[in-house]
Amino acid sequence: MLSLPPIDWLAPKYLNWMLWGVLETLFLSLLVALAATVFGLLLAALRDSRRRVLSLAALAYQTVFRNTPLLVQLLFWYFGASSLLPAQAVEWLNTPRALTLAAGWTLPWPSFEFIAGLFGLSLYSASFIAEEIRAGIRGVPFGQRQAAAALGLSGWQAMRWVILPQALRIALPPLFGQYMNVVKNTSLTMAIGVVELSYTSRQIETETLKTFQAFGVATLFYIAIIVAIELVLQQLRQGRWAPVGVGRR
Amino acid sequence: MNAQLILDNLPTLLWGAYPNGPLGGLALTLLLASLAGLGSALLGVAGGVALTMWQGWPKRLLAALVGFLRAIPVLMLIFWAYFLLPILFGVDIPEIATVVAALALIGGAYLAHGAAAGLAAVGRGQWQAGLSLGLSRWQTLRLIALPQALRMMLPSFVNQWVALIKDTSLAYIVGVSELTYVATQLNNRTLVYPTEVFLFVGLMYFLLCSSLQLAAAHWSRRLRVA
Amino acid sequence: MKRGLLFLALLSTFAGHAYADKLDDIKKAGVLRVAVFDSNPPFGFVDAANKQQGLDVDYAQAIAKKLGVKLELRSTNPANRIPLLVSNKVDLVAANFTITDERAKQLDFSTPYFATGQQFIAKKGLLKQPADIGKLRIGADKGTTQEVTLREKYPTAKVIAYDDTPLALAALRNGNVQAITQDDAKLVALLAKVPDKDKYELAPFHLTREYQGIGVAKGETRLLKEVNATLTELEKSGQAKTIYDRWFGPTTPAPLPRTFKIGDKA
Repeated sequence: MLSLPPIDWLAPKYLNWMLWGVLETLFLSLLVALAATVFGLLLAALRDSRRRVLSLAALAYQTVFRNTPLLVQLLFWYFGASSLLPAQAVEWLNTPRALTLAAGWTLPWPSFEFIAGLFGLSLYSASFIAEEIRAGIRGVPFGQRQAAAALGLSGWQAMRWVILPQALRIALPPLFGQYMNVVKNTSLTMAIGVVELSYTSRQIETETLKTFQAFGVATLFYIAIIVAIELVLQQLRQGRWAPVGVGRR
Repeated sequence: MNAQLILDNLPTLLWGAYPNGPLGGLALTLLLASLAGLGSALLGVAGGVALTMWQGWPKRLLAALVGFLRAIPVLMLIFWAYFLLPILFGVDIPEIATVVAALALIGGAYLAHGAAAGLAAVGRGQWQAGLSLGLSRWQTLRLIALPQALRMMLPSFVNQWVALIKDTSLAYIVGVSELTYVATQLNNRTLVYPTEVFLFVGLMYFLLCSSLQLAAAHWSRRLRVA
Repeated sequence: MKRGLLFLALLSTFAGHAYADKLDDIKKAGVLRVAVFDSNPPFGFVDAANKQQGLDVDYAQAIAKKLGVKLELRSTNPANRIPLLVSNKVDLVAANFTITDERAKQLDFSTPYFATGQQFIAKKGLLKQPADIGKLRIGADKGTTQEVTLREKYPTAKVIAYDDTPLALAALRNGNVQAITQDDAKLVALLAKVPDKDKYELAPFHLTREYQGIGVAKGETRLLKEVNATLTELEKSGQAKTIYDRWFGPTTPAPLPRTFKIGDKA
């Protein structure tokens, strides 16, 4: 029996950095998913609006945001937007600060890198999420709309109480697919200095040159996060978010 | 703004060192995206059909593979395929082939997942109708379910290809000189014109992706008329 | 990683792929494969005619000549220079590679052939002495040891690592950071290129002295010896000075006096 020598793993200090990176990735992803879903709903509503100006504006937005590289968009929000602001505002935004709460507790103010990343990622992701929501709405049978009208519900009431709950249920799997993309896309924010998982793996690489180990651990973390999202989706689909026509009757 | 900088370097940005050297720039981006797009479509349809028709452990194995490919970041798949395979098995795959294969596999996994969902969405009624007409399962698939599912899926194919065009820029990790890569070289040679360089890069990808979407919209209208 | 490499090497042996001595392989193939940067002027970059140029390229050329083989250049960036070497896609890495003890555990470095000091470009008046560093937001380049040094020596400074020098410079000019850090050899040339250069200045001090070496895979002692012998010889024949002057000499846009000779005590 041949005994293979062990691989020279990363020191605990570096794994600790990596864990902070994971937390940053998770936190950023969560905020982006929330913001992009809210904005995506709004975009979907605008796209399907009867006012042509609104639907065209939403279409133009989606065309620009979906068809240009995310990296270019992030650079635009981080560099471009701040070059349009007055110098004092840029200085204020970029200065590290903390919010002092009562009883001496302080809350670190997010860095400008984080804010720009959150903003850019949310605007980008919303343009995709809006499409999934629209597809979900289209998937609700027309009879449901007629039934809601017959019950005397207004257009908005029908949307809120009849169409949207079913549409979201239909759109749930592709929506979660988008959330998985959000997690992977957060890695691009390392270009503008957000200290997330990919950034920390590069820092470790720079210091130790253990490229394979650093990238390996990062890969495993990304896969683990995505698998966790998949498990949440399956859990949801077995409960109240079961596909239409299955489960609760 | 220094538009002259872009104009002076336009040939490099558009086709790299060609014809004095290998093809690069926008032309290579197009080539990578086309090959990977074609590959992902074939893998996607085949995978979707297999996920629908297969039973038992082959199906579970395929589903696990599709799940893994959807979970791994594109950059990391390219990285590991290129650097680990030669170390582990002595297999040396050229850079461009690695990138195309990685993009086709990941795109194919996403499309297979979507195709399986599309085939399921065609509805039990359609399948039963086919079977009661005396068609076999495979005939029902080919003649009834698949054409409907594919028509439904065209938008998600286009979405996947748009993503794929943009993901070709990740080829930098193995040193393939596509558009973003040569733009980065230009950016670092000139040092003070990142705005010009990135605006140009953004515009090129925008033109590529938008023309694909326009073409698809045109095509789907014709499909509906036919 | 050393034991890891051994483990991987064992695996590759199982795959029927045992390597002979690398120096022999190079001579047998008649080709020396060297990874150089393509986005790091003046060490390694691609010129307007799409040709790889730079100080590191010149050294690679000289080593190939000494070995009597053809040179094959491979562009690299900090994220893949070690993988290229470990997976045997290149024989040497000549990519402005700063030597540190921690890094030397993963590969062997040649004798230093270049020395730099960690320098800063800052908004005028902000950075007069090292003590000011801790109060500033400073931009660095990913993959450089300068980021590591700052983090260790000045934990109160806010260090942001950007993808490359143009982006770090853009961050400085935009006000995202108040200073950027790099090799002095790069910063002098960089400042000369900045359109609004009167707003910025080089800091009047160096933080560290760093030495750059050529990376060789662990265990390739014969190849390492050959590289070292070539470097020493280049210094003796005056060729090392010629290469230096080509990129930093008095006739270049940003001249820098040569303060380090190959063979000097690091």
